[in-house]
This record gives sequence, structure tokens and C-alpha cells, in this order.
Amino acid sequence: MAEQPIKVVVGKPGLDGHDRGAKVVARALVEAGMEVVYLGLQQTPEAIVAAALEEDADVIGLSILSGAHMPHFRRVKELMDQQGLGDRLLTGGGIIPTKDQETLSGMGVGKLFGPGDDPQMIVAYIREWVKEHPRA
Amino acid sequence: MKKSIPEDLWKAFFQGDRLACARLITIAENRKERVPELRDALANRLGRAVRIGITGPPGVGKSTLTSLLALGMADAGHKVGIVAVDPSSPFSGGAFMGDRVRMEGLVGDQRIYMRSLASREGHGGLSPSTPDVADVLEGFGMDRILIETVGVGQAELDVLECTDLVVLVLQPSTGDAIQTMKAGIIEAADLIVVNKADLPGKDVVLNSLRFLFGMGLTKKIRPVPPVMTTSAMQNEGLPELVAELEKLASVLLDSGRHADLRRARMEKEIREAISQCLWTAYDGLTGATKCIQEKARELVEKAESPYPFIRESCSRVRVQALDKEASNGHGA
Ligand SMILES: Nc1nc2c(ncn2[C@@H]2O[C@H](COP(=O)(O)OP(=O)(O)O)[C@@H](O)[C@H]2O)c(=O)[nH]1
Ligand SMILES: [Mg+2]
Repeated sequence: MAEQPIKVVVGKPGLDGHDRGAKVVARALVEAGMEVVYLGLQQTPEAIVAAALEEDADVIGLSILSGAHMPHFRRVKELMDQQGLGDRLLTGGGIIPTKDQETLSGMGVGKLFGPGDDPQMIVAYIREWVKEHPRA
Repeated sequence: MKKSIPEDLWKAFFQGDRLACARLITIAENRKERVPELRDALANRLGRAVRIGITGPPGVGKSTLTSLLALGMADAGHKVGIVAVDPSSPFSGGAFMGDRVRMEGLVGDQRIYMRSLASREGHGGLSPSTPDVADVLEGFGMDRILIETVGVGQAELDVLECTDLVVLVLQPSTGDAIQTMKAGIIEAADLIVVNKADLPGKDVVLNSLRFLFGMGLTKKIRPVPPVMTTSAMQNEGLPELVAELEKLASVLLDSGRHADLRRARMEKEIREAISQCLWTAYDGLTGATKCIQEKARELVEKAESPYPFIRESCSRVRVQALDKEASNGHGA
């Protein structure tokens, strides 16, 4: 049987106004054979996690350029754990200092990417992660 | 038959756990071999939901309308499942699914469950798993299931196969599109909505429709569908649309047509499952796949008809062979 496609929910929490980066990444994921549910701009963490739950997503990807990455990642991760999605990958991108990345990583957030990173790195990372974390 | 869906997943599902519902939908989508198990467990909960296809060209506002319809129906006391299908790329197999962008109003609403589906091997039409996903949603307690299609090509006709009612959505600039629409979908629609009535030009569409129906170009097997106008953007015409759909739903249920449609779908499911099952058994017993390959090469080379071979193959089938197979424990 063919492997089932990886399902990714992509959202942009917070107030910053454009989603070019998120769409470029979404496109790269689709071209890599993934099924991407795109949520659009200005999503609350609650809305993102509720969508990921209904979609039974393997991965949640957040794009945050506003600088408010800490509270958003923290809150999304918290909601994921509360709602039984602790076994899914939370990843994303933005301008996130190494120190913050380490803190988030300590909370169980996955690898994060910067605006200059090749989307193929994200594709490869997600594929690898999903392979190493098969769900029951 | 060996059970493969864990007992506690069913238990959570029947207690109304949304994550359990999400996981069962994933099984319906990804594990075709487990569909019989789903059907067994859900059968006694199915039968009352009305499945409504929302179709029409891309961009006319299907997602926006679907979301408002769901809210309207929920306010009328229904539990609403939404399945929104988006096309899979034939090249990568991936899919970009953007319908949720227009459904923000549903976030956190426990009366509604929304799921995006990629069309996969439905080749740009509906995902083949759509009816099974709808079954899971109905088993979860949804009594109105809205199925938003991709809106082009085969999807328009596929949706007729798995729904009880079809709403065709158009917009002011789709006057010409009506001519190029897949034959049949306009006649098959139970309700036509001209959305974006806030934009100029709705009379052109309304006139094309009037012309089409007035000329008697459509088959007279069914009454001319009601045509309504809405503006999903300005939330206009929605209560009327919900009321009209609910009226159609009651007629459907009360007239027995709902039961007829369900019976017809069940007949088709049984026929298809039996042909699949018989073919698998036949192929296993006779090695037909390989044999057909060789035969086809030979027939094409000699420019001969395949029918003597087909007739001979069929005449050799005896149902006893399958009986024996079944008593050996291979039956489903
Ligand atoms: N002007 C206007 N725009 C609308 C209306 N309904 C939807 N739209 C817009 O039309 C675009 C496509 O809507 P969407 O629901 O995604 O259409 P779909 O592709 O048929 O699902 C979006 O930009 C909507 O905001 C309406 O009633 N009036
Ligand atoms: Mg849509």
C-alpha cells in the first residue's frame, strides 16, 4: 500500500499582516506530496489547535514574524498537549533568536526555521520527523 | 473478521470525543481495507442524516456559504458535518486546502465538525473516501452533512452519487460558465444559488437560467429548481436559503425519497463490493491478471476480438468453487 500523505496545518498566529512566507513554505510542502490545510492570517492559538484536531494533522506549522513567537508557540504547544495532540510535531518559522529556540525546544517544540532557510530543509525535516514518530 | 480498530477508540468516539472522530475519519481516508469494519460498527447509527452537496465553479463562494449554512442549520437545532474537498496535485500527490480560511466563524463551535479532504485518486473530483467520511460524521451524530466539492470536472457529477440534495452555486459573472458546465449538473441541482448578489450583473445569470429552463432545454423529469440569490459577504439571503434547504430536506425525508436514495446507494455498494470480492477470489484461483496480460498482447498482435476469450473465461466459473473457498475460512 502506498504511504499515506503527511498532513500539515499551516497557520499564522498574531497580528502581522502578510503571509507570503507561509504560502511559499506551504507550496513547497504540497510539491513534496504533503496535504496542507492552510488557515490564513491572524489565527488564535485556540483556532489553530482546534483545526489541527479536526484535521487529525501530523504537523502544525506556525509562521510568526511579529516577534511574539514565545507566547504563541508556548500556548499552541500547551493546547496541543491538553487536547491529546502531544504526539504531533509543532514546528514553524520566523525571526527567532537561538536562545528562544532553545527554550522552546525544551518545551517540546520542534526545530524552527528562519526566513533565509531553504523550504526544502523544512520538507526534509518534517519527512524525517514523521518517519521517526509513527502514530498508532 | 479480524478487528483492527481499537475498542477504546470506538468508545471515545461514541462518547463524543472529537479527536476520536478525527482519527476514525483518517482511517476512512487512508485505510480502505478497514472500511468494512467502520461500516459494521456505524450501520445502526446511520439513516437519518441529509447529505447536501455544495458545488459550482471555483471562487463563487462555496466555502463562505457552506460555513454560513452550517451556522444557520446549527441554530435550527442540527448538528452539522462539513467535508470540503480540494484537488490533489496529479504530479506530487500533495494538496493545498484553503477552505478553512473562509470558515473562521466555525472555530470552536461544538455543533459543527469540519474536515478538509484531498481528492487523491478521485482525479480532481471528489475523494473516493467521501461517502465513508460522511458515514463517520453521521455516526458521530451529525444530521446534516455538507459536502463542498472542488467544483470542476468530474466532481460535479461525483457529488450526485453520494448526496441526497445538490446545491449549485453561481456568481454574477458565471453567465457564460453555465454553457460550459458539465452536462447534467444544472438539471440535477435541487437548488441554485446566485451568490455575490452584492456585485453587479446578477440579472445576467438569472436571465441565462430562466432562458435555460424556459426553453425546456432541461429534461422534464424533475421540477425546475428554485433559484435564490445571496451575498455571503454581506450575510444576505442566508436565513431564506437555510429555510429553503430545510424545506427540501423535510420533503425528501417525508416523501420516502431519502430512503430510496439510501437504498440505491447501498445496492451499488453491495454490487461493487461483491464484484471486487469475486474478482479477487477468481484472480487468486486462476491467476487471471497474468493470463489477461498475455492474452491481450496476443489479441492485439493478431487484431482479434477479446470476446471469445471473455466468454470462455466466464463459462468456466462455477459458484461452487467460491463456496469451497468460503468454507475454508476466506469469506469476509
Ligand atoms: N463580493 C462578494 N464576495 C464573496 C461573497 N462570497 C464569497 N466571496 C469571496 O469570494 C472569494 C472566494 O470565496 P470562497 O468561499 O473561497 O469560494 P469557493 O472557491 O467557491 O469555495 C473569497 O474572496 C470570498 O471572500 C459574496 O457574497 N460577495
Ligand atoms: Mg472552497
